Amino acid sequence: MANMVKKANAFEILNHWVMAVSFIILAATGFGFLFHLEQLNSIFGNFNAMKLWHNWSGVVFAVSLFFTIFHYLPVSLSLGSDDIAWISKAGGYFSKKAVVPPQDRLNTGQKLLYLIVLTVGTAIAVSGLIIWLRPAAADIRKWVLLSHLVHNIGFVLMVTIIPLHIYLATLANPGTFRIMVYGTVPLEWAKKRHAKWVQKMGF
Amino acid sequence: MTNHWIDVKNADVILVMGANPAENHPISMKWIMQAREQRGAKLIVVDPRFTRTASKANIYAPMRSGADIAFLGGMINYILKNRLYFREYVANYTNAAYLVNPDFKGPGQLDGIFSGYDEKTRKYDKKTWAFQLDEKGLPKKDMTLKDPNCVFQLLRKHYSRYTLDKVSAITGTPKEKLVEVYKTYGSTGKPNRVGTELYAMGWTQHTVGTQNIKAMTIIQLLLGNIGLAGGGINALRGESNVQGSTDHALLFHLLPGYLPASKASLVDLKTYIEKLTPKTKDPKSVNWWGNRGKYITSYLKAIYGGNATKDNDFGYAYLPKLNEGQNGSWLVLFDQMFKGKFEGFFAWGQNPACSGANAGKVRKALTTLKWMVNVNLFDNETGSFWKGPDMKPQEIQTEVFQLPCSSSVEKEGSLTNSGRLAQWRYKAVEPIGEARPDSEIMNELYFRVKKLYQKQGGKFPAPIINLTWNYGEKGADGKIKKLDIHRVAKEINGYYLEDVFDKKAAPPKQIGKKGHLATNFVTLQADGTTSCGNWIYSGSYTEKEDKVINMMARRGKKDIGGLGMYPEWAWCWPVNRRILYNRASVNPDGKPWDPKRTVIKWNPNKLDPKTKKPAPGWDGDVPDGPAPPMADEKGKYPFIMRADGMGAIFGPGLADGPFPEHYEPLECPVQENPLSKKHRINPTVKLFYGTTGPHDEPKKEGGSAEDIFYSCDIRFPYVATTYRVSEHWQTGVLTRHEPWQMEMMPQQFVEIGKELAAEKGIKNGDKITVSSGRGKVWAIAMVTDRFKPFKVMNATVHQVGLPWCFGWQYPENGSGGDSANLLTPTIGDANTLIPETKAFMVNIEKA
Amino acid sequence: MSRKALVISPELCIGCRGCQTACKSWNQLSAAKTTNKGTVENPPDLTPNLYNKIRYVEVPSESNPVRWLFVSQRCMHCDDAGCMKICPAPGALFKTKEGAVGFDKEKCIGCKLCVAGCPFNIPRYDEKDKITKCNLCSDRIAEGLEPACAKTCPTGAISYGDRNSLIGKAQGAGYQKLYGEADLGGLGVLYAFKDAPKVYGMEENPAIPESVIFWHKVLKPLAYWGLGGAVVASLVHYVAFGPKKDEEVK
Repeated sequence: MANMVKKANAFEILNHWVMAVSFIILAATGFGFLFHLEQLNSIFGNFNAMKLWHNWSGVVFAVSLFFTIFHYLPVSLSLGSDDIAWISKAGGYFSKKAVVPPQDRLNTGQKLLYLIVLTVGTAIAVSGLIIWLRPAAADIRKWVLLSHLVHNIGFVLMVTIIPLHIYLATLANPGTFRIMVYGTVPLEWAKKRHAKWVQKMGF
Repeated sequence: MTNHWIDVKNADVILVMGANPAENHPISMKWIMQAREQRGAKLIVVDPRFTRTASKANIYAPMRSGADIAFLGGMINYILKNRLYFREYVANYTNAAYLVNPDFKGPGQLDGIFSGYDEKTRKYDKKTWAFQLDEKGLPKKDMTLKDPNCVFQLLRKHYSRYTLDKVSAITGTPKEKLVEVYKTYGSTGKPNRVGTELYAMGWTQHTVGTQNIKAMTIIQLLLGNIGLAGGGINALRGESNVQGSTDHALLFHLLPGYLPASKASLVDLKTYIEKLTPKTKDPKSVNWWGNRGKYITSYLKAIYGGNATKDNDFGYAYLPKLNEGQNGSWLVLFDQMFKGKFEGFFAWGQNPACSGANAGKVRKALTTLKWMVNVNLFDNETGSFWKGPDMKPQEIQTEVFQLPCSSSVEKEGSLTNSGRLAQWRYKAVEPIGEARPDSEIMNELYFRVKKLYQKQGGKFPAPIINLTWNYGEKGADGKIKKLDIHRVAKEINGYYLEDVFDKKAAPPKQIGKKGHLATNFVTLQADGTTSCGNWIYSGSYTEKEDKVINMMARRGKKDIGGLGMYPEWAWCWPVNRRILYNRASVNPDGKPWDPKRTVIKWNPNKLDPKTKKPAPGWDGDVPDGPAPPMADEKGKYPFIMRADGMGAIFGPGLADGPFPEHYEPLECPVQENPLSKKHRINPTVKLFYGTTGPHDEPKKEGGSAEDIFYSCDIRFPYVATTYRVSEHWQTGVLTRHEPWQMEMMPQQFVEIGKELAAEKGIKNGDKITVSSGRGKVWAIAMVTDRFKPFKVMNATVHQVGLPWCFGWQYPENGSGGDSANLLTPTIGDANTLIPETKAFMVNIEKA
Repeated sequence: MSRKALVISPELCIGCRGCQTACKSWNQLSAAKTTNKGTVENPPDLTPNLYNKIRYVEVPSESNPVRWLFVSQRCMHCDDAGCMKICPAPGALFKTKEGAVGFDKEKCIGCKLCVAGCPFNIPRYDEKDKITKCNLCSDRIAEGLEPACAKTCPTGAISYGDRNSLIGKAQGAGYQKLYGEADLGGLGVLYAFKDAPKVYGMEENPAIPESVIFWHKVLKPLAYWGLGGAVVASLVHYVAFGPKKDEEVK
């Protein structure tokens, strides 16, 4: 057995799964609402139930999003020249020869993804709550319309980005997915992909 | 109404004055708007307040409450000055050409009164108001209308005082508005132009109420607007069946069918008929009231049946008699009750504690009663008066019985609308709980009262014991088990009690078969061979070819000439005549003044429908009598209900003068009558408090403190009026229990002009107190442009208005407020004693 | 079936509010406890139990103390209805065969988006958060009756009938163009205005909020394209470049 390093603790893994599942429910029901997909009734029963699933999944999503702040925000904000270089080389995804600069615990792509998810997720959560709870305000109709717009823009971004994230974290990068199962990766694997982090950790 | 609701659509100009049909008679607006939209008719609204009706007007003229005669007098003056009158109509169909006693003098000469006034009795000796008669006993005429003593010249002289400046100063109406209204309405003096007038309580509820209407009658006669489609004088009745109840003797001085009530001096039937039957020596005058003897006799036969015989004067002695000069009108009744002269009181389908003028006095009057029966759908302020505001229940001994009655949709029967249209209605649902139709309650009451009379005798049991009461199958106890309303309707229509013959025909022709329903009142007899409960309804429930027909239940939709007369829809009194005085709609040759609006037309080539032989006659509506047109040798005058057959421009019959004269309301904002210094108010009204209008300290002369009034008094500086709203019905007893209506109109309000509100620091929605000499109510301020200050005699006069549809008893938390009638005075019209609730003085303060 | 409509003529309306009561009566809507706020208009706004309300509009007048207009406020039954567009629940809002916008409280999910999506601010929601509004008395018109408001109107200020013939009739009466004739695909409640709509307190050119249009036209397709694009891109990438195999990573 190779030398393994812990990249994610149990809570982070759990939180990520909670988020993932809630997102899928949200996205599915979201599509259902958007396109009146009555086929989903076979899963949710009816649209009233679907709305409950959507709203409460939203709450779960928002909570899990909150916890991600502790897991991903500091590292995601530590952007530097290496990140620019990473971007200029497109993370090496379009050339087998490209050499990407050494990466932290999260690579630039993951950092950016996180920052987008945090921003868009927050926007979606807040706008969703406004639509749901309709706080008493004189021009609440305008606020709801704005929220509706924000919610839907966020939706489009999310349903575009997250599948890419899933692809990149699974098929495109063998060995990544196990982090979300075991939390550990082989040291050698980590050294190649997260040299800075490995260095910081003192391996 | 001389005409009918639908007929309003035929008008060219519609004057709404003293009414607010959009709010109180919404359905009439259908026809008003149709006239506007389809024939380009002009709607004129004259009202102190910019009402929902005014919002639909082509011309709106604001006018201070109580100044109608000034306004209309100005119009008469304008019409005469500008020769807008319909000369041929005026000369032929009115008494304009008649010569009046040369000693007659008017208010212009006598400082506010007509000749013959007695200050002590406050009555006129009408000797000088009489017409000059020729050797045949007919009024002398000057067909040139130039004789200074002829009615036309007297009219001119009388109203020459009503100049635009003077009228504007009295009414507060800007001069240019006056001219606009006068010109527009005056345009209907042409044969092909017709104007109608719609009025309601805004005209009647004044000390000069009757004269308000009389003034308009003069205008309508001058312009030739009576008898024509789209014309007439049209009273918008305040309830769906007020016309019906008035027809059936709602008022104290009448018997059914407008027969005068009997009085002590008319000792027997012969005297009654002799004294009360108008006579004429003019062969051209139909003088329909000449038939009075037939109608009163048939009436007596209807109510006393076999107990009314020739030998007992047809039971005439059974009729209740008024004492000489006795007045039993509303104000007097409650005044008497207030003074403790009553033992019991039936408040039947009414709510006097809110609807009565000076309601505070009415409420106190109720405390003097030993018992009261309140027949209504709901308890109300009257039934619960003893626990009302300022009442001490422990000191009140009145025993109150509440009898629940069914609503109009819970019973069958007829209903007569303002257009005299009697329509049969069916029961839609069963009454709730113990509620019963009024007729059933009366049946029960009659049976029990009769039984008491039979057992105990009493002072004069005959009128009760001898009544016919054949309204259904009787039980063993002699009581009608279930009252059959059809039998009542048939009794009203009348029966032939014997075979009846037309004795004028030779040989006498049979016109009625014994035991059959009467065909119409033409066949009624004075000899006891016919019965009829109400002669004007004779023909409403009749027989054709031995088949009984309830004419009121007809629903035929055939029309005549597109005028909306619908002669086969229900039945209209008299004899299904849709437009009264329709003989005035044609010229003396029988040709319609306006062929486009042919109500009737003389047809010399008419064929008898049965024999197909020539039988000249009238086409169209049922004419006012079959006689040929006036110019014919056998022709008759058009106004058949008047002894002389003429429309009365000069009306000596009224108590307060043959011409309407402006007098101020009992409470008004001016020191004196702008037209005459001496007589501020109508000199013939019955005064309940003091003999003169107190401008400062009121004096108590025979009146009670409750009747106090304050005219031109700084403590009550604002003119006020009361009104109804669309959302509530009368005192609101029906509608206040209806949450949907309450949602729209939940609380007492007072409309106040922005100018006055600014002066008083009152904001829209503020709770304020409105007070008069008699009482006070709280109300929510509706600060609005709909009331504007008036310029009256160079002073600014503010007016406010509030509805009388609220009462303390319901809603139970008192959130609705109380009736505006707590403010109104005890004073009435000189002729009718209808209370003056449309013009009085108040103060307003922030509550 | 040809499209049905109401034509409302404030010129004929006398503000009697028979329609306001008739609506409540037919639809059995409860009354609110109100107070007088210094105006005849009451309740102050549409509520879940008030589908049709007469607004009392006062505007200045040259010849009169004021100009008083009475305007019925209720669902306009737009052909292109903002409420239906934004509604996420199939069948909650629907077009009847007469062209009215009906609603089904069973299917309504209570999201209240319709309230915001309506250009006229008409829908209200009840205590169970379900949509309520005028449905043109769809139960009555389905039986060939006219809506309760039109039935009760004494002056013909609310007339119901075939939309085209109503428009034709109004043109005959001198109304060149009715309010709502072309707006929002043509309203099912048209107004015969003699003056500019704003005089009557109505918007000149009512339209579905732009954000809703943008959402409908752009965002909705983008959601498909976004998701689909991401999946396709991933596949293409996988085929073209393949995964970053560990041994290939430097």
